Amino acid sequence: MIRVLLADDEAMIRSALAALLRLEPDIDVVAECADGEEALAAALRLSPDVCLLDLEMPGLDGVEVAARVTRVVATRCVVVTRHARPGVLRRALASGVSGFLPKSRGADEVAEVIRRVAAGGRYVDPEVAADALSDERSPLTDRELDVLRAGRRGETTGQIARTLSLAPGTVRNHVSAVLSKLAVSTRQQAVLIAEERGWI
Amino acid sequence: MSTSPVPAADIETAAQRRGRLRLSRGITATWWYTVSAVVFLEFMIVAVWTGALAGAGRSTAVIATVGLGGLVWWLSTFVLMRDYRQRTEHEQFVPRPLVLVSLVIAACFGLVAGLASGLWLLGVVPLVQTSMFLNWPSGVRLRVVIGATGLLVVLWFIDGRLVVPPDAGSAWWLSGFFSVSLPAMTVLTLWWWDVLITVDRARASESRLAATQERLRVATDVHDLQGHHLQVIALQLELAERLMPNDPDAALSQLQAARRSVDEARQGTRDLALRFRSVPLPDEIANAADLLRAAGTSVQVTVDADADRAPASVLGPVIRETTTNALRHGGGRWARLSLTRDADAWRYEIENDAADAAPSADGAGLEGIGRRVEDGGGSVETRRGAQEFAVVVRVPVSVEEPR
Repeated sequence: MIRVLLADDEAMIRSALAALLRLEPDIDVVAECADGEEALAAALRLSPDVCLLDLEMPGLDGVEVAARVTRVVATRCVVVTRHARPGVLRRALASGVSGFLPKSRGADEVAEVIRRVAAGGRYVDPEVAADALSDERSPLTDRELDVLRAGRRGETTGQIARTLSLAPGTVRNHVSAVLSKLAVSTRQQAVLIAEERGWI
Repeated sequence: MSTSPVPAADIETAAQRRGRLRLSRGITATWWYTVSAVVFLEFMIVAVWTGALAGAGRSTAVIATVGLGGLVWWLSTFVLMRDYRQRTEHEQFVPRPLVLVSLVIAACFGLVAGLASGLWLLGVVPLVQTSMFLNWPSGVRLRVVIGATGLLVVLWFIDGRLVVPPDAGSAWWLSGFFSVSLPAMTVLTLWWWDVLITVDRARASESRLAATQERLRVATDVHDLQGHHLQVIALQLELAERLMPNDPDAALSQLQAARRSVDEARQGTRDLALRFRSVPLPDEIANAADLLRAAGTSVQVTVDADADRAPASVLGPVIRETTTNALRHGGGRWARLSLTRDADAWRYEIENDAADAAPSADGAGLEGIGRRVEDGGGSVETRRGAQEFAVVVRVPVSVEEPR
């Protein structure tokens, strides 16, 4: 029996999917959670075999839950999304997610993926991979991304410089390069764009 | 429906954004160029008059009055130039208090300089020049500048008869000529700026229009697609509902058909959204390498410099399919990707370590690749060793994409 935790903030989808999965002879849904925090708590308590996590949830998103859960509990995570935004798959793979599939897959296919992942395999849906591959490339260099990352909470140039052990002038040069590459006028806008595309 | 394709018109590539930024910088530069030309002309006229008066041996008081007053007047016109940048043709002619101050300064300077030097021309030029910056309606400014120039010519003539000594040097002639032509030169410069701004506005509204049309087209497409499928699904469900009591088997097949319709609708919506997303092949390969690296694989990439000329319509799906395969079935330790060109063909190769369990389910995907590539006149070759798995795709250069 594969013990599955299901987290989705849309109640209709969650209950329908849970009902459909329970019809599978070898799958048991042990928890249904409405948001990321709840999923994290339930996963730590129940240590299910597989966590099926919606990407778009209030509070913690699916990838964040997966990253925290897999650090503590021996469980495998599958992230489900409606719209694979640029960079999300990369982030998910880097944080140890074993499966990634779009929401449009039928319950029988989801069950198949759960079985495969529970057996130790990895599943990346071709549709999601195609989305990720046809991403716009980040025009920024690694150093420029470092500067944006260090300044994403509105830190001053001086603070960024200290964090990265750079001269403030160098940081300013990087920032102005970023601004002209992304064609925006403030560092905040650049951070927003980079976060949206999953570059940082 | 839940799927929401991004409106194509809102998708703006970084290149377009950079282009727009460059353009707006260019326009700002042109503005400063225009302004500095006018500023220079105005400064020159003050200098030329002061020089002429000094050359004629007028008293220091007169020269100082004209020089210093001229500087004040010169500075006061800056306010008007700043306003000019923001002007639009449709605005009413409403002088702001600051504009009135500039006009009063010009009139006062004219009065003082005229009285001090006794020159009619010098008395009138400042006010005429300042008034050129007012927000005249189109057409009116032309008449104003012609009238003003005529008036200045008459005053120059009067000055020449009454005030200027008959043996005056060329400085008088220069300052007179300069004063008479200054309003016309200023208006010409401003007119050039106006033309540039009009062209820029036309370009902006044209691109807005194109974006709106594109958005409308996408909206219509989405509406048609969803409307059609929803209607079909509603019918199939209704039929299933009716059939349920008497013929459960037929009802079941209607339900299955409805599910297929939902899948079609979803796929259609997705295709619509993907229509506007395409990236160059080298980017696609770089993305693939990023993905594999994110999954903990060490990746080696070789891409020819001119690889963006390779046929993306054939190789794009191949890259996606093979990357997905490597992610799913690969051993996850290493992978090598290359897109190179030899004499007459593009050659894409992906090679990765094999997983312990033999891959079983990638057959369908590879067959699909094979069909697609063969339609494009190419060939697919797979190599399956004990330690590694490789796919090599060759596409003849003749199907090279137009740039």
